[in-house]
Amino acid sequence: MIRPSVGLLGRIVAILLLAVTIEFAVSTYLYERASHVSVRDDEARRLAEHLIVARRVLNERPAAERREVAEELTTDRYIVGWSTETPPRPTIAPAMDSMRRQIVDWEPSLAATDIHLRLTSPGRTSVVSGDLRLDDGTLLSFRMREGVRTLDLAFGRVLLALIPAIALMLLSGVLIGRILQPLRMLARAADKLGRGAGGQGAPLIVPERGPGEVRHVTRAFNRMQARIGRLIDERTRALAAVGHDLRTPLARLRLRADAIRDDEVREAIGTDIEEMEAMVSSLLAFLGGEGDVEQPELTDLAILCANLADDAADHGRDVHYVGPDHFDCRLRRFGMKRALTNLVENALHYGERATITLHADPGQDVRIRVEDDGPGIPPESLELVLEPFVRLDTARRRDTVGFGLGLSIVARVVAAEGGELTLANRPAGGLCAEIRLPHCRT
Amino acid sequence: MTPPTILIVEDDPALRTLTARALQENGFAVKLANAAPEMWQALEVGQIDLILLDIMLPGTSGIDLCRQVRQKSAVPIIFISAKGSEVDRVVGLELGADDYLAKPFGTRELVARIRAVLRRGGLEKAPGEREAGILGFEGWTANLPRRELMSPSGAQVELTGAEFDLLVAFLDNAQRVVARERLIELSRARIGDSSDRSIDVLVSRLRRKLSGAGGAAPIVTVRGVGYMLNVPVERR
Repeated sequence: MIRPSVGLLGRIVAILLLAVTIEFAVSTYLYERASHVSVRDDEARRLAEHLIVARRVLNERPAAERREVAEELTTDRYIVGWSTETPPRPTIAPAMDSMRRQIVDWEPSLAATDIHLRLTSPGRTSVVSGDLRLDDGTLLSFRMREGVRTLDLAFGRVLLALIPAIALMLLSGVLIGRILQPLRMLARAADKLGRGAGGQGAPLIVPERGPGEVRHVTRAFNRMQARIGRLIDERTRALAAVGHDLRTPLARLRLRADAIRDDEVREAIGTDIEEMEAMVSSLLAFLGGEGDVEQPELTDLAILCANLADDAADHGRDVHYVGPDHFDCRLRRFGMKRALTNLVENALHYGERATITLHADPGQDVRIRVEDDGPGIPPESLELVLEPFVRLDTARRRDTVGFGLGLSIVARVVAAEGGELTLANRPAGGLCAEIRLPHCRT
Repeated sequence: MTPPTILIVEDDPALRTLTARALQENGFAVKLANAAPEMWQALEVGQIDLILLDIMLPGTSGIDLCRQVRQKSAVPIIFISAKGSEVDRVVGLELGADDYLAKPFGTRELVARIRAVLRRGGLEKAPGEREAGILGFEGWTANLPRRELMSPSGAQVELTGAEFDLLVAFLDNAQRVVARERLIELSRARIGDSSDRSIDVLVSRLRRKLSGAGGAAPIVTVRGVGYMLNVPVERR
């Protein structure tokens, strides 16, 4: 049984709950911080009060004493000075409009004093400084001793608020992604199903993980896969058994035919038996019903190709091999031999002569070409003929032996070697079948 | 001269009868068995020169049967199988079968194969020699039971049946001249290849396959007599 689980919905709700909780906590913390920032309001108020007092004191004193008094007014916090002429107001220093407003709000009388605030940066920290006019037009200047911590408050706050949001989004993304991981694995497995990846029909069992719904789906998928595999296996075994069993009556028929006195009849029956045997063989080869699991071994591919040409030549056919005398390559040699035999038989079926060419140039993929001088294949059918049970001459003449599996078997063998089969019409006429084997590089 | 006795082990009655008839018509004496017990009985009772053994029998499989027979005697065995694959053939030969015949087979092919195996077994094979069967020369390795040749680089080199027989003839007569007539006789004994290629073509093909990197094949022509493998052969 599937173990009880919170489920996809439950998990997403849990994630959202977590997100909201974290957001809430972080916001609260931020507001706390914001009230910290509003201490600046406080600071502005204190400065305003200090300025009011300093202005009143200085207004009452004669000009000669003002400088000294100003020094006395200097505290741990503020430096106060007095001068008769306006100091040059630096244009670069940003004005502190909001702080000025705070000050004026608190002490409206300061508005009439032409108060100026600016932010100056004598060292690494920024310092608020400014001046205002006394009643006689002279200037009271002041500077805060302590630097301002944050310069761009608005931007900083936005950033601060964004950080938890981004972090939350990332966290939620990762968590939901983790929940969906088994689904993605399932999708990949479903995608691979039936493509023969990882060996023919080898089931790709997906581990049952994740929330209940996903585990249900995964289990159903695995079971379905097993059923499909069993079904294919049964069919293959049944067909293979039929194939094998057909060979015994065929053997009987063959021996019986040998007893027929009439040469013509005997030969005709012999041809029929051969055709039936070829069909059984190709079907078994296509279904893998012979039950061979061939392992790749080091093989002299050049000699394999040359042998095919010699063999055909011995049977009176015009087949030549062009290529090196020796070329070693790791492959399933019986499979490759079957594939090349099919190509040569095809070539000789449609053409008069065939050439097998082995290209094994250093640094390049090994290529084996089988070319004939036949009519070729209509360009639109070049892809089609690789499909199983496709015979192009069905309509015209039915003299092809087999089920139309020849090229499918070639394609399958070549794919098992990690290679590629391409068919093309030669410019000079005839077909060129090329097998490209990337792993056989010299 | 008494005709050779062939024991046919085949579970399909009709095929058994037909095979028997075909062999009798070609001058063989025939005994029949439909499964393992009857086969053992026949082997005890009388002299059997060759067993024609179906690989798929009810009860014990032909492969197991072959192994058991090999433990007791060196009687030549030809496997008959409904499986036509090369891998199957190699397995059968490795187990000690002398040849392998795929269904369906014709009378001519059957008789020729039996004659070839009888000739080989009768002429050259001492019982002890059968087990070894792996010969080395100049880095090449010939595996007689599997009928496979491995090059010095370790690659499988595909030989046709006739070429392999030719090679075996050279290996058995290493550093001795083999007469052309003897080779022709040998190649005639081969079946299936209904071609008219001459022994010289066969030799030149074998030479091409045995040529190493730059080196020529170790088969020299002895003018007017025949050919010779001019390197020593070691038995493993």
